[in-house]
Amino acid sequence: MPKLMLDDPDGTLVMLRDSVNGFAARFPGPKALRDRRGRGGAMDPQIWSAMAEAGWIGLLLPEDCGGAGLGLREQAVLSEALGRALIAEPTGTASVFAATLLGGASSGAERSRLAAGMASGEIVAVPAWTSGAKPIVARAVNGSIALSGETRFVEAARSATDFLVVAQDADGVTLLSVAADAAAVAISERAGVDGAAIATVSFSNCAVPTERVLSRANRSEDLLRKAILHTRLALAAELTGVASKALELAIAYTSDRVQFGKPIGSFQAIQHRLVDMWIEGEFAAAAVVNAVDALQSDDEDAAQLAVLAAKARAGEAAFSICRRAVHLHGAMGYTDECDIGLYLKRAINLNATLGQPEQLRLEFVERESGLSRGRTYG
Amino acid sequence: MRSDWNDIPDEEFRATFRTWVDQNCPAHLRYMRKQRPLFNEVAEWYHALAAKGWLAPTWPRQYGGMGLSAAKHMIYVEEWGRLGCPRIPDHGIGLVGPLLIEYGSEEQKAHYLPRILSGEHVWCQGYSEPNAGSDLASLKTSAVLDGDVFVVNGQKIWTTLAHCANWIFVLVRTERDSKVRQKGISVLLLDLTSPGVRVRPIENLRWEADFCEVFFDNVRVPLKNLVGKVNEGWTVAKSVLGHERIFLGAPTRPEYALERLRRLAEARGAFDDPAFLSRFARLRLDLYDLGSAFERYAKVLRAGGELGADVSALKIFTTELYQRITEEMLTVAGEEARLSDDLVAGDIEIDAMNLFLDSRAPAIFGGSNEIQRNILAKAVLHLPG
Repeated sequence: MPKLMLDDPDGTLVMLRDSVNGFAARFPGPKALRDRRGRGGAMDPQIWSAMAEAGWIGLLLPEDCGGAGLGLREQAVLSEALGRALIAEPTGTASVFAATLLGGASSGAERSRLAAGMASGEIVAVPAWTSGAKPIVARAVNGSIALSGETRFVEAARSATDFLVVAQDADGVTLLSVAADAAAVAISERAGVDGAAIATVSFSNCAVPTERVLSRANRSEDLLRKAILHTRLALAAELTGVASKALELAIAYTSDRVQFGKPIGSFQAIQHRLVDMWIEGEFAAAAVVNAVDALQSDDEDAAQLAVLAAKARAGEAAFSICRRAVHLHGAMGYTDECDIGLYLKRAINLNATLGQPEQLRLEFVERESGLSRGRTYG
Repeated sequence: MRSDWNDIPDEEFRATFRTWVDQNCPAHLRYMRKQRPLFNEVAEWYHALAAKGWLAPTWPRQYGGMGLSAAKHMIYVEEWGRLGCPRIPDHGIGLVGPLLIEYGSEEQKAHYLPRILSGEHVWCQGYSEPNAGSDLASLKTSAVLDGDVFVVNGQKIWTTLAHCANWIFVLVRTERDSKVRQKGISVLLLDLTSPGVRVRPIENLRWEADFCEVFFDNVRVPLKNLVGKVNEGWTVAKSVLGHERIFLGAPTRPEYALERLRRLAEARGAFDDPAFLSRFARLRLDLYDLGSAFERYAKVLRAGGELGADVSALKIFTTELYQRITEEMLTVAGEEARLSDDLVAGDIEIDAMNLFLDSRAPAIFGGSNEIQRNILAKAVLHLPG
């Protein structure tokens, strides 16, 4: 089955994969997803703290603030394994995005508090930032900061202890944390396709002490760009895992299901579909590995392109593979009882997070044409 | 002369090879429109490579080859393509040589290998027949032993460059009643100038004849021209492509076509159309990701590993992408797509129709994409039979 093929000289990656498998035996992903849906979309604190205990939350946090000091290779393999196991906690945002922001934030008590809490699982730090939306505005008022505005599509908003708010002030982008239970913070939830609630979080003149500023203009722009880059990579890896598992389930089902006296997986019409799904999965895995490699070089432009390609490819592959996997399960695939639908819904959610393939591809060609001889398309 | 090319660092090898090729491959042979030029059209390049000792990259040095590892061979092929060098008639170098080196007798090796290098023997490959294409094992061309001579009767087809070859390595049926069809097939080395051989070129969609029909009417082939054991030719025939299967999946053709599409689209203002931009972006990313996927298999070879059946994913993807790109060229051409001539785009000419037609072939040759899918279904996905 499609899998991220990365060198693993010291066995760290095998260990990560094994530990996710062990975890999934304790907390089976499909069951946790269904339970979460039953709770109205709230995170299961037990699962999140078990993930923190395993060292997975804030895996990217530097060692100087209590993190494991592991890199994007390890994060990619972890995310892939979580995707396969359908452990649908908000790893991309509440771990990767948050850890990248915190990792690059200015040293200080607030950064240390958040990082330590994230790593231990006591703090759930959820990024509050919406791509392309009107920014949250930060104004200095009487020695503190007042935030106004709203951010949409926030995961795990009810479970958050702190929001990492990316706001706009007079100088540029500023990053600060806000206590989730602050009076001027309002959360309005909607049902997400895979059962996790997705919220709009509003700040109405919300007063934040200046000690909670994590990074100021100039530095914050870079941080945000880096957080998006890392999270897209992690999402791409997770999507690759979802896709690979859905393909595996489709192969198992069609090999087992007998019609006309034969397993339907022996029919060429079915086989060719499965092969095409497998090729999509292989290409997704290769694109993610390419992005991991590119991120390890010093060429930021190359890394940006590689990550755009990986997220686009993996998102498209996961969505397409899961759609077809549902179809190959026949009427069974259309039932809520069958797990394959959970993979499809998870793929839709992750694919639509931080850019759908079409948008990412257009960004890729625009960026690339800008790089080569100042050429422009369109 | 170097004792072993494989001991040189990759980049040094690349630079050495590139410099010499760039200086010695004649300018008028670069970026030829023909995918498969005839031997006499590229003979000077063939002989130059032979004189330098660089004609047979993968043959062991004792046979006059370069003895390149798979990793170095990839560099050789990459630079070759990057410099726009023409493809030479390479059935001798790429297929017959490795086949003889693995299965041939010492006498066969001593006789045939030097004649491939000198260009005295130009080879073609006699596999497909009118009723044995994808189902190759159903082939019927027969060889009946008469003393120490096989008498060959039958017909081959889609035999690339047979009209400029003087030898063919041919799959023949030497036993008709075998229960397993793959048994009873043998490999013969056959002199195309023998009495009873007739070669008829077939014009393709591009109005070029690069493949042929070959007819055998009581052609007498000495027993010593049998390669390997009688009736066990299937194994021999199947073994000819090792790591070289990766090249069937190389991004070269779609890469070239996409650049042509880009030039055409710029000249026609197509990038102002958001619908085109969207389609172009998809093709561009498909090509980019094909590069990543190619690299995934290349890494295996560089690490000294062997490729499995899964490498066919590249062949399917690259050939279908090549088709989609050239189809888009016809869309951008608009009414000009009615023309067979090249299209003028600024200061260059774009061979849109030529590429569109050319792109029909790779999805068929080397095992049609449907056959590749059948193989993948069994060998990689382990689906039931």
